[in-house]
Amino acid sequence: MKKILIVDDDPNIRDYLVSLLEDNGYATNTAIDVRDGLKIAKEYKPDLITLDLEMPGEWGPRFYRQLSQDNELKNTPVIVISGLSGNDYAISKAVATLSKPFDREELLNIIKENIV
Amino acid sequence: MAENILLIEDSAEHAVALQLYLERSGITISIGTTTEEMFSKIRTKEFDILLVNPFLNGKSISSEIKELKNSIPLLQVIIFCIKQNLNQAMDEVGTHAINFLEIPVNSKALNLAILHARKCIANDKRIKIYSERLADLEHDRTLYHQLFNEVPCYISIQNKEMRLIGSNILFQKDFGNEVGEYCYEIYKHRTSPCPTCPVIKTFADGKSHSTEEVVTALSGQQYHVLTQTAPIFNDDGGITQVMEIATDITQIRQLQGHLSSLGLMLGSMSHGVKGMLTALDGGIYQMSSGLQKNDPERIEKAFDLIKQMADRIKKMVLQILYYAKSRKLEYQTVDIVHIFKTVISTVTNLARKNCVQIEIDIPDSLGDMDIDSNWLQAALVNLSENAVEACIYDKAKNKNHKVEFRLWEDNNHRVCLSIKDNGMGIDQETRDKMFTLFFTSKGSQGTGLGLFIANHVIQQHGGEIKVESILGEGTCFEIYLPRKKAEESVAPFGKPIEKLS
Repeated sequence: MKKILIVDDDPNIRDYLVSLLEDNGYATNTAIDVRDGLKIAKEYKPDLITLDLEMPGEWGPRFYRQLSQDNELKNTPVIVISGLSGNDYAISKAVATLSKPFDREELLNIIKENIV
Repeated sequence: MAENILLIEDSAEHAVALQLYLERSGITISIGTTTEEMFSKIRTKEFDILLVNPFLNGKSISSEIKELKNSIPLLQVIIFCIKQNLNQAMDEVGTHAINFLEIPVNSKALNLAILHARKCIANDKRIKIYSERLADLEHDRTLYHQLFNEVPCYISIQNKEMRLIGSNILFQKDFGNEVGEYCYEIYKHRTSPCPTCPVIKTFADGKSHSTEEVVTALSGQQYHVLTQTAPIFNDDGGITQVMEIATDITQIRQLQGHLSSLGLMLGSMSHGVKGMLTALDGGIYQMSSGLQKNDPERIEKAFDLIKQMADRIKKMVLQILYYAKSRKLEYQTVDIVHIFKTVISTVTNLARKNCVQIEIDIPDSLGDMDIDSNWLQAALVNLSENAVEACIYDKAKNKNHKVEFRLWEDNNHRVCLSIKDNGMGIDQETRDKMFTLFFTSKGSQGTGLGLFIANHVIQQHGGEIKVESILGEGTCFEIYLPRKKAEESVAPFGKPIEKLS
């Protein structure tokens, strides 16, 4: 089973993503901020990560920079899911950037295409 | 010049002789032999010169001649008579005639007399025209003065030193009739010309310039004005004065302020709105998948989430609607000391990082007060941050920068808070403008919204802000708030700020 790490500070959105992804046959794990996310990513070694941009403490782009410095994790595809407008270039190497509220089918398709 | 001459003489032979002589010189004349004829001819035709013998058939008609001259002032009278009567004629007619000739009339003397009469006629006509023009001029002057005075803008005329040398009624009403004072002193209480003075520019290039300013009237009321200038040229084409017209656009700015803060609020909320909508999507998804799977636990959880999100969205929409209308405050009873400690704690990090000392003089307890804590805290945090920033941006060396917070209760049972820094201080102009929308002294670092909203929130609470500042020495804000909800709601915008004496 492919593993997806969800990084978002909003518990309702984490719950939503967990249900949606598990219902579609993925295993999930969640993190509430950047520091938590990096720690869990190292242990969990997800096949894909969904990342919010604006969170208390450090923001999403910092997570991505640190992720790409880790040899084991740097090739993990990241999908940005954020409420910030004009966020397309915040993380240019993300495989996709979705705006909240996002389209379920679109997210599932992107995951299917990018998960190895 | 073809003037009309009337000759009155009882001797027909002498009259014809004079007529022949004058007609030879190209002058046509009418002849009469009696007083009655004199009057009737004058009535039917306009004559310029009356050539008259004042002794008709041995009887003096001097009084009739004078009467005629008085009724037609432009008529020039030339008298001729026999030598023995000349003295009497002069005595009787006097200055009503311009010349007295002796019979037999010397032709040169007659020519000269007519020439003289012509000159007098021309002069009299000119004077008449001039006095008519003068009356028109006076009328126009009054009219233009009235127009100048009644223009619904502040008009001032300034010389090269920026001294006021004239102003209209509206200007004098709101700013006083201080001829000779400096424009920048009267309008802005400054001690030097404003940096972007449009009057200086107009003196330099002779063109019209425009700026937007905040000026303070005698009453303390502040006005947003749009200023426009125009050069006033002297006869040599040099600019000796500049006229400045300032139009009051306060209402437009207030409306703009409301609209833009509404826009700002919507902008700052959009992130939260998007999160809520996503969570709502999540609730709906879990509800439908729970129903499919017949999973009561999931259905219940989803329903709770949907309910929660619906409530939050409802509250937010209502807030926006309130805000768009009148921004009512939501009062709650809070512990005064707790609120202010929370405010201070928001700036302690910023202060510590920049080596700004924080001094706090707050009693253990001051009881409760009724406020909208969200709005009021935001306002106080803004003032506190400004104080710390005034220290950070102060370039003065050898200064132990600090911000002092004091909290007490005054004799009117008002809650008083002072925030005092020893930072860079602010000048009078900044102090006048500081609470206006989009005014910032922080360049690109500021939005010009913070103090505008802070001031408005404190006014809505029935409170007031006082500011005291010395450039280079620091600034002190004092905030006075009633403990209980203000009875009357304050007008939405624009109450003037009092200054500490």
